[in-house]
Amino acid sequence: MRQRKIRLFLIAYLLPALTIYTVFMILPILQSMRYSLYTGTGIRPDQFVGFGNYVKLFTQFPFRLRFFNVLKNNVLFFIMVSVSQNVFGFVLAVLLTRRFKGRRFFRSLFFVPTALSVIVVGFVFKLILNPVWGVFDRMLRSLGLEALIRPWLGDPALALPILSLVTAWHFVGIPIIFFTAGIDGISDDIIEAGRIDGVSVWGEVRHILLPMLKPIIGIVTILTFVGNFSEFEIVYSMETVYGNPEYATDVFGSFFYRTAFGTVMNNVNDVGLGAALASIMFLIIFVGVLFFLRITRRET
Amino acid sequence: MRGAAKRVSLRGLLYLVLGAQSLVVLFPLWLMFNSSLKASRQIFRDPFGLPNPVFWKNYLKLFVQQSYERYFLNSIGVSVVSLLLIVVVTSLAAYAIGKYRFRGNQQIFFYFLIGLMLPIRLGTINIMQMFIRVNLYNNLLSLIAIYTAMGIPAGILIFTGFIREIPDELRDSARIDGYGETGIFLRIIVPLLTPAIVVVAVYNLIPIWNDFWFPLILINRDELMTVPLATARLFGKHETDYGLLFAILSAAAIPPIALFVTLSRYFIKGLTAGAIKG
Amino acid sequence: MKRSQVVAVMLVLLLSGALAFAGGKQEPQTAGGQKVVLRYTSLRTEDVERENRINAEFTKKYPGIQIKFEPIKNSEYDTALKTSLETGVGADIVILRSYDGGRQIYDAGYIYELGDLVPNIQSDFTANSVATWATEDGTIYGVPYFGSITGIWYNQEVFDQYSLKEPATWDEFIALCRSLKQNGETVLAHGTNEQWVLTETLLCTVGPNFYGGEKTRQALINGEIKYTDPRFVKAYNKIKELVEFFPPNYQAIDYVTMQQMFMNGQAAMWIAGSWELGVIRDAGLEVGWFGPPVEKKGDRMQYAFYADLGLGLNKATKHKDEAVQFLRWVASPQHASLLANELPGMFPPMKVKFEISDPVALEIVQIAQRADVDTTGQLMWEKLSRQEPSGETLQLEAVQKFLNGTWSAQQAVEYVQKGLDTWYYE
Repeated sequence: MRQRKIRLFLIAYLLPALTIYTVFMILPILQSMRYSLYTGTGIRPDQFVGFGNYVKLFTQFPFRLRFFNVLKNNVLFFIMVSVSQNVFGFVLAVLLTRRFKGRRFFRSLFFVPTALSVIVVGFVFKLILNPVWGVFDRMLRSLGLEALIRPWLGDPALALPILSLVTAWHFVGIPIIFFTAGIDGISDDIIEAGRIDGVSVWGEVRHILLPMLKPIIGIVTILTFVGNFSEFEIVYSMETVYGNPEYATDVFGSFFYRTAFGTVMNNVNDVGLGAALASIMFLIIFVGVLFFLRITRRET
Repeated sequence: MRGAAKRVSLRGLLYLVLGAQSLVVLFPLWLMFNSSLKASRQIFRDPFGLPNPVFWKNYLKLFVQQSYERYFLNSIGVSVVSLLLIVVVTSLAAYAIGKYRFRGNQQIFFYFLIGLMLPIRLGTINIMQMFIRVNLYNNLLSLIAIYTAMGIPAGILIFTGFIREIPDELRDSARIDGYGETGIFLRIIVPLLTPAIVVVAVYNLIPIWNDFWFPLILINRDELMTVPLATARLFGKHETDYGLLFAILSAAAIPPIALFVTLSRYFIKGLTAGAIKG
Repeated sequence: MKRSQVVAVMLVLLLSGALAFAGGKQEPQTAGGQKVVLRYTSLRTEDVERENRINAEFTKKYPGIQIKFEPIKNSEYDTALKTSLETGVGADIVILRSYDGGRQIYDAGYIYELGDLVPNIQSDFTANSVATWATEDGTIYGVPYFGSITGIWYNQEVFDQYSLKEPATWDEFIALCRSLKQNGETVLAHGTNEQWVLTETLLCTVGPNFYGGEKTRQALINGEIKYTDPRFVKAYNKIKELVEFFPPNYQAIDYVTMQQMFMNGQAAMWIAGSWELGVIRDAGLEVGWFGPPVEKKGDRMQYAFYADLGLGLNKATKHKDEAVQFLRWVASPQHASLLANELPGMFPPMKVKFEISDPVALEIVQIAQRADVDTTGQLMWEKLSRQEPSGETLQLEAVQKFLNGTWSAQQAVEYVQKGLDTWYYE
């Protein structure tokens, strides 16, 4: 009897989310995924090409150049952002959960960048790094480090790392809120017990925090991974949708956008090819998510 | 003696790191705000100097010329309702997924996660047609529907993670006390999920608040525009008023920050510890 | 606490409902005698005030018709246009990009043919501009709106300071650059960070004099020559000669930086479009303009003057007659004068005479009318960019990598040709 009641509750609890999600997200996207088997210049491609679009992306010139380039860039971007944003965010979260005055103020302050639109963040950093009137170069000069000055956003080797750092500046608030929520949720008893045993801060981190926060580390990593591999707003606002310079900052998101929607300089778009690219992106992300879920699963 | 010195030096290190990060955070913020008070050309002529003259006109233009209070209201309305829906709907579903064993549990979880891996923009034309067909074009409800749907995957991921951390004993003892499922959910689970609720709300707030794509596609009437859409109109093909742009983007940052500060009050540590102990 | 939360939720849901109903209200339909409002969408968001002034003149002439100018950010314009036209919520009058951009819209069946509706297009506009919004068999689907010219702006003060004359040949131009550089001036406000400026305002501005201008462009389109032709290599190498006059760290200089450098008087010259005149006037800068220098004295100058944007009529419009009236007015000399004066530096490509009040704008367009000048357009915009990998996309990449030193001129042109080979010659 109770089993029936519980089953009803399960359905009731799951239904709202399932419905909204399926109707407004899954169905429209699935309908468009169909187009990956078609080609044509209209907004609804109508020439059937089977797997032609996929073959195109992997083998045809110059699409394969673009494809493998964005794959490489995205992996690098993800690694750089994970380190500069999430690792550093974790460190800050540990610091922000110590007991000291003004801790709430710092938590709010470090969140402010995350609340900004990516457009203004991109623009501000472009001002700072501008080769003609930027303050960054001026600062280097005043420190006698003029030899280190480069065309920051124009150097294909430097542009992507710089974008990673800007992304980290922008979104460090995210790991901070996740990890502070997680650390705050760890019972005081456990921490006290550790302190009594004479554990140092570093020990506390290694033996208590990290293991207990594994699921949250997993969530943060997954969200970062997924975000990196599908978004491109920072590229768009700092290096145009082409991933300047010389496609060095081109990522899956920008490549997808250009392909599916066209650009100002080239108004032709190919929805079919875009859909194929989205399918491939989906597979890559899916594998990645599975991987991260597995290695951060906590053994209870 | 050594212990105390060690504590002092650790404390010193803490303030050093926090201070450095504060500077790193504050400088670009100051630059943004500083630029918002300049005439457009001065931003490039003298990016790091103080505004001269102080160009209040940028902010005045917001409300006199551009009637931004309407756009702010629209954005706030859409964001708040979407966040509420996301939190309610995903916490319920995550509770079912995280705490109950049933056939298809894993599959449903992954089904929800798929939304994180697909670009919603691919479905643009279908989404647009769907809303036009049910007469919701030029209607903010369409935005709420989309944003709620988009927030569900991350919400499920986050809530499920936090819910799994809640010990089963709590639920079992509540059941013995005679509480029904809903009672358990509202009285035991939700209070323990408060930090997660804040995380889900804040995590979704930013993309919803700053989104300009769906308003672009689903709205063309001026009085229904959201802040990002109205702001996009300021980008000229060749000429842009950057001072005005900075002013708007600075002002637009305030509601999300305000919401965060308000919500983070619920991040109180004692709440969780007490419940687990009891 | 629970009850007040429930109340709060209720209130918020009510608020959303209120918002929704506020949005759902229908626009008041026109009952006899009331104004017809035509929606006019564009990608030039900076023109709102100017267009409103121009279009107010139309309403003066036709009091029952009002024009609502609703521009959309340039980078999202194409998507917004296509999706709105496809789903039936598009504007009545739409801006069309040149060549294939506009052709797509016509091919998809979204816009009317205008040959009969606006009969003076063929007769009153330049042949090139009409062809920009017409099919091969002469079906016209767009009214040419304005054309752009690209050339070299210079800061009048700097030129006066060093008593410089406008150069006519390339050697004179280089010598002028050199002397400015020796005097410590920043010569050219240029960088390679943003791709489109490298093709639109560099390669296809000073390049045509070296790759053979309009004749060569036509030959490329017809397949008579390939992009690997030595003419193009020559043009590439010529523009490379200018790189030594770019500011240091030019790889990181983007379009906005170039524009602001020149406007702030921080550079002597800027190879750019006539459309900048509006910004220049707002900045109060004293400027001069000269056309691209020729290779040797006596050569005909190849001057880039091309139709940029046109206007189309949405088939789904509910006010066809009024919209046609508007388009006819747009195709008139009266409108051309208004446009040329409100948007200095944009030139309606009309054969018929119209007024231009700005002296520099006049100077710019008069060069095109000289006997020793041929007009030409952007290399890759006609036909060569119909499909990916489009000529323009390939060219953008090639020029950037070439100027940055990553590729040689030979590698650059071979890359472009290889891309074109995959689809263009079938």
